[in-house]
Amino acid sequence: MTCEDVRRDLDSYLDRELEAEAARAVYDHLSICAVCRRQVAEREALGRLIQAMPQYSAPDRLRARASAQSIRSRSMRRALRWAAAAAVVISVGGAVGVLRSTATRADAIADEVVSGHVRSLMVDHLFDVQSTDQHTVKPWFLGKLDFAPPVVDLAPIGFPLVGGRLDYLGGRPVAALVYQRRQHTINVFVASEDDTLRPAEARAVRGFHVHHWVRDGLSFFAVSDLNDTELGDFARRLQSS
Amino acid sequence: MDVPERLFEETVLPHLDAAFNYARWLTRNDADAEDVVQDACVRALRFFSSLREEDARAWLFAIVRNTWYSRVTRRPAGSDAAWSEDAQNDLIDGSLDPEERLLQQHTVAKVRAALEQLPVDYREALVLREIQGLSYKEIAQITRVPIGTVMSRLARGRDRLTTMLRLARQTETTR
Repeated sequence: MTCEDVRRDLDSYLDRELEAEAARAVYDHLSICAVCRRQVAEREALGRLIQAMPQYSAPDRLRARASAQSIRSRSMRRALRWAAAAAVVISVGGAVGVLRSTATRADAIADEVVSGHVRSLMVDHLFDVQSTDQHTVKPWFLGKLDFAPPVVDLAPIGFPLVGGRLDYLGGRPVAALVYQRRQHTINVFVASEDDTLRPAEARAVRGFHVHHWVRDGLSFFAVSDLNDTELGDFARRLQSS
Repeated sequence: MDVPERLFEETVLPHLDAAFNYARWLTRNDADAEDVVQDACVRALRFFSSLREEDARAWLFAIVRNTWYSRVTRRPAGSDAAWSEDAQNDLIDGSLDPEERLLQQHTVAKVRAALEQLPVDYREALVLREIQGLSYKEIAQITRVPIGTVMSRLARGRDRLTTMLRLARQTETTR
């Protein structure tokens, strides 16, 4: 592989969008080419600069208007639906069999995890204990749960721990650990394991990613709007820590 | 109804900040960004039933993008967004100096200014990738171009940004 080939693939490589074989070739080239390594350092520095910029957030009046619109449009849809339902009842005399699509239990749990995540961000109740120190966060859960959630700070690999809180999943108390990645919040829900709590390893729900794993009799759900690759990385590092 | 009703507030509104941020980078000013997102929300509500379960954020971004795009193309030519010619050859910066430290000395304001000066198609690719963390495939779908174009926009955008920051730095040190 020549330097020119590497330059062509470098952005895809750094963005982790390169096929495994091609990525391996770039990796091998970088291990012997200092010139290309400098290029990598420069790209990474640029990425950090862009990501370090504070981002714009929606003004409150925009948020208020959007949710007011949503409520108005919902009551309109409901009215229409009632009218339609009434028409059906009149025409067939009420003999309508209703087929309901039943979501699987796993879907329901993943959904609940995402709702818990959204709720924590919306009501501004992200923390009961706000600390970047795992030795402060871990003892906080003592006596509040019938298990001790493992608490690890992953700041060294770019996922700083920022706090924790008590939350509920499926009606049971769980530990919620909060991590940060750039402007993305990651909630990690930790519950005592119970065989029904087993959704697929990773899934996407309403634009959020959920990773699930079981370890030492505990069930973990990492959820965030962070991209799936980075969240997957995070989940793997947390599992092996 | 055979599907439980999903609330717009729970599904789409959690991505409002991200949508505003994207619109703000496209329009480069608060008022236009607010208008774009406001219009996009109206459209999003109208098409809400077409939203598939897993991709609310990318779906909203695509609507924001379309809303913005139809506004830009309605205006007289040359009044707003400057586009790159994807086919044109960009200046290739031949210097291979690491520059990492130089880059790091730039303030947030300079990076922001440089990013805002980029042609809008490069800028949005960078924002969607670096700030929103979307995959090439998602960016391709939102901006309606092939994945190869996303790749070249990112590479050229990053090259230009690097050159701009380097030049800004040089002007400063020679002052």
